[in-house]
Amino acid sequence: MTQSAISIQNVSKQFGDTIVLRDINLEVPRGQVSCLIGPSGSGKSTLLRCMAGLEHADAGTITIEGAPLGFVEGPDGRRRQSAAELRRARSRIGMVFQQFNLWPHMTALGNVSAALRRVRRMPRKEAEDKAMAQLEKVDLAARAHHYPSQLSGGQQQRVAIARALALDPTIMLFDEPTSALDPELTGEVLNVMRALADEGMTMVVVTHEIGFAASVGNKVCFLDHGRLLFHDTPDKVFAAPRNPRLEQFLDTYLDRGAFLVQ
Amino acid sequence: MTWSLFQLLLQASLMTIFVSAISICAGLAIAVVLSALRMSGNRLAYAGAGLFISFFRGVPLLVQLLLIFNLLPVIGITLPSLATAIIGLSLCTAAYQAENLRGGFEGVPIGLIESAEMAGFSRMQAFVYIRTPIALRLTFPALVNEAILILKSSSLVSVVGLVELTKMAQNLSASTYQPLPIFASAGLIYLVINLIVALAARRAEAALPGLPAK
Amino acid sequence: MSFDFAVILAKGPQILAGLGVTILIWVVGTALAVALGFVVATARRFGGPLVNAVLAVPVEVLRGTPFLVQIFLLYFGGPYIGLRLDPVTAGLLGLSVYGAAYYSEIFRAGYQSVPPGHVEAAECVGLSRGQTILFILLPEMALLVLPPSLNMSVILLKDTALLSLITVPEMTMTVSAIGSQQYAFVESIVVLALVYWGLVELANWLGRFTERKISKLSVT
Repeated sequence: MTQSAISIQNVSKQFGDTIVLRDINLEVPRGQVSCLIGPSGSGKSTLLRCMAGLEHADAGTITIEGAPLGFVEGPDGRRRQSAAELRRARSRIGMVFQQFNLWPHMTALGNVSAALRRVRRMPRKEAEDKAMAQLEKVDLAARAHHYPSQLSGGQQQRVAIARALALDPTIMLFDEPTSALDPELTGEVLNVMRALADEGMTMVVVTHEIGFAASVGNKVCFLDHGRLLFHDTPDKVFAAPRNPRLEQFLDTYLDRGAFLVQ
Repeated sequence: MTWSLFQLLLQASLMTIFVSAISICAGLAIAVVLSALRMSGNRLAYAGAGLFISFFRGVPLLVQLLLIFNLLPVIGITLPSLATAIIGLSLCTAAYQAENLRGGFEGVPIGLIESAEMAGFSRMQAFVYIRTPIALRLTFPALVNEAILILKSSSLVSVVGLVELTKMAQNLSASTYQPLPIFASAGLIYLVINLIVALAARRAEAALPGLPAK
Repeated sequence: MSFDFAVILAKGPQILAGLGVTILIWVVGTALAVALGFVVATARRFGGPLVNAVLAVPVEVLRGTPFLVQIFLLYFGGPYIGLRLDPVTAGLLGLSVYGAAYYSEIFRAGYQSVPPGHVEAAECVGLSRGQTILFILLPEMALLVLPPSLNMSVILLKDTALLSLITVPEMTMTVSAIGSQQYAFVESIVVLALVYWGLVELANWLGRFTERKISKLSVT
């Protein structure tokens, strides 16, 4: 049996009285693109943030490449990982946020090279060379010395992707990467993601881009009210949706003409 | 009022600028440390920093300077008046700047900290490389205000025996019996210095790279 | 090293007298500063561009120079142009004029915060200029103006300490004089610092209390 890149078992979480994740079980296969879709408030972003270790599940376990994330099992029950343990556990994960979250006081090059220099302790020259190579990959080498405020939303998000890739992750998590973008700017970001998928990167993508999920996703997971209702290949999910909630959800996207399956 | 008297005032104003500049920078460094203590999650550090800020914001600078000037020798520390003046001004402005910085640190969007976390930064590294520079940019206008305030407040360091612009004006006015033109000239020099600082700050702010969105 | 606070505290009545002068000058000075600042801001708002420009000069000069230089100029320079004031009057005048410059800026920001449409609407229903200010502008800007006004009053409280340098018999002057007489200068300054600290914290607390009460009246 090949080990999953991410394995999620019986994960539940609530904020106060609101249950946001109910007993989620999901295997994220290596080298594949898994898309999380669902209405807003369905818990898909929270699930992704749990995979990133930014949120802690109340129950259940998440393992990254076989290693536990967020908690360690001890002789007397489980305890939260220390900050250093958590950093180690997610060192192979790259994350891309809806709001880009580029650091405004650094240039594009500075954003991509910062962690290489400060965390990986690379010499400046080496870090910047590597960062430059990543920026070239997202076709932004010409903008390396621009500050985020001088870049379009699409460019900012591509810098954010380069920043995550610079740390050589084996898994990339995308939290609604195009939701904050003007419609005409989503294409450039989706193209970068498509290229990444073609290279065989393990990706988990929370998205409202049904077209992207249908054409690039290997697996589509539909969440609703904190439940993972089902997950399957895109053609099975989209071609003949049997679930009323999914049908209802997809209808809202049909109106937008984003539904692109055969 | 002669040109030579005015020149003496100009020379003394260099001391005003020097003392103020050093105090602003030292105060900023102390303010960042105070902010770190307040955000450290350690209750003792939080209370200590809070007490420091409350005291130095609560006591008139004149009284603080008198306190430092007279207390240090009693506990066996004798410092030249220049050092005493700088210590007094730095501690005072540190308290105010820490209060300004609090708003700046709260204004750093949480997403920027999360992205630092995901890039592998430790809490300390994120504080040094991400939070502090952004907070400083957010509070830059307040910092400029504080700089102008300190330039004006530095007139008080005459009470610890340092001869800067105001003390020079006092001395000259006592020896020449011309308080009116001399204090007016001193005021004019302060005004011009502050104007230059304000203008330079405006240009600097325009040149600073962008602030976080929202 | 040994501290003897008893000799300072024995002079309690004198200290209280100094405290009384400090509070009196503070309260009266702040009230005058608020009133004068309001007049200046109102004149700048409604007096046309010339009045606005002319009044900007003293405001910027007062805000750009140290208070200490201002009171030295007034107290030591005043007699040369026939302005012979006793220390308390000079101090009160100096504090009021200095504070007025800052209050005028606070009120100016307040006036600017009220949408011009509200003033036009008031004029349309026939309110006079005075009525517009009193019934429309002042209530609308009150919430915005309150916090910086309270803040400024605390700054003025601390600035009254400078009046000791022109021999106003306020608290700093009184207590440090006691310290010198009793050969207990350090102790006197410690007492002084603590009293100011308490006073400022009290003023801050009162300010926060007032803000909380007033902000409940907010309608927006």
